[in-house]
Amino acid sequence: MPRIASDKLQPGMVLAKPLVGKNGMTLLGEGTELTERWIERIQDMDLEGGIFVEGPSEQTVPLEEALAALEARFETVLDRPHMARIKKIVREQIESLYT
Amino acid sequence: MDNIDIRTQRTRIENINALPTVPGTVKKVSQVIGKPGVTLSEISQFVVGDPALTTKVLKMVNSAVYGFPGRISSVSHAIMLLGLSVVKGLLLGISVFEIMQQVMAGLWDHSVGCAVVARAIAEKKGLKDPEEVSVGGLLHDFGKVILMLEYQTQYEEAMKQAASRKTAIFEAERAVFQETHSAVGTWLAERWRFPPNLVEVIECHHRPGSARKAPMETAIVHFSDILVRARGFGFGGDPLVPAVHPAAFDLLALTDADIREVLDKLENSREESGSLSL
Repeated sequence: MPRIASDKLQPGMVLAKPLVGKNGMTLLGEGTELTERWIERIQDMDLEGGIFVEGPSEQTVPLEEALAALEARFETVLDRPHMARIKKIVREQIESLYT
Repeated sequence: MDNIDIRTQRTRIENINALPTVPGTVKKVSQVIGKPGVTLSEISQFVVGDPALTTKVLKMVNSAVYGFPGRISSVSHAIMLLGLSVVKGLLLGISVFEIMQQVMAGLWDHSVGCAVVARAIAEKKGLKDPEEVSVGGLLHDFGKVILMLEYQTQYEEAMKQAASRKTAIFEAERAVFQETHSAVGTWLAERWRFPPNLVEVIECHHRPGSARKAPMETAIVHFSDILVRARGFGFGGDPLVPAVHPAAFDLLALTDADIREVLDKLENSREESGSLSL
């Protein structure tokens, strides 16, 4: 769920979170696909911080490195109850960030 | 360097306002939240009187840690919504932010991660006060801050031992200090009149089987600590994932999908606020 600056929004991007105005009112719902018109409106609003859109975020660490670190962290506890299952779920979540 | 029996230092530590290494901001907050019978309105005045603190409170309250994103715009609203013990915990967390960054890089990220995960699990289990559990997640390692500040040489030794023996930091703490950060955190939580459930969470998060008043909340923070470490987010003094307490994990009765959802929330909170730096 990357955060994109207003001036880098592209038509077709889908809002990952509702767009809330300065007064707290929801302007656009989560899941709205942005059109050129909406993007212009958003840019006019001069919102701080950028907009959250659907999609994978850039990962700073290569996948192999992330998985190697995961192995190392779990090394001493893999044979304890539930730990292999927990590791598997974490591993799947990490992998999903790189697709 | 001699080992210390930290239990003999308890009174000294409880008298936190006299500890030389503790910053003035923490002492101010400590005085306010420790005052017997302190009211929400006194706390509100204290926060409102400090613009920097006000900004931080609003930022924190609108973050994934508290689940009211973008909806709280005034301190009095925040304070009324959250209630006394959550507000005390929040103020303490905020005042401790900078020293956490100073004494142990990654400890703040670890603590915020635990807060987010604890809250998410508490909501899944239908607890009526998920914010209180979130505070437990945020503050469970507070004792490490005090140990690092006041007994830095010994704590660095403990960290070295944990690294070389591949053990958890709390085991190394016990070897060097005869007690762990959980005990230190508990002494202070009691001094600050935190609710008994929250005190127990801080006391028993590494041994949830000992929890009597709040076994579910304690199990939640116990597992949150493990899950955040499993995900490799932040740093709590050692790079390992501790084994989960089987009975506590069974009590939580989380499905794979539940755990995955909670991990996704943790991931989103990271992106949302960088590392929620204040």
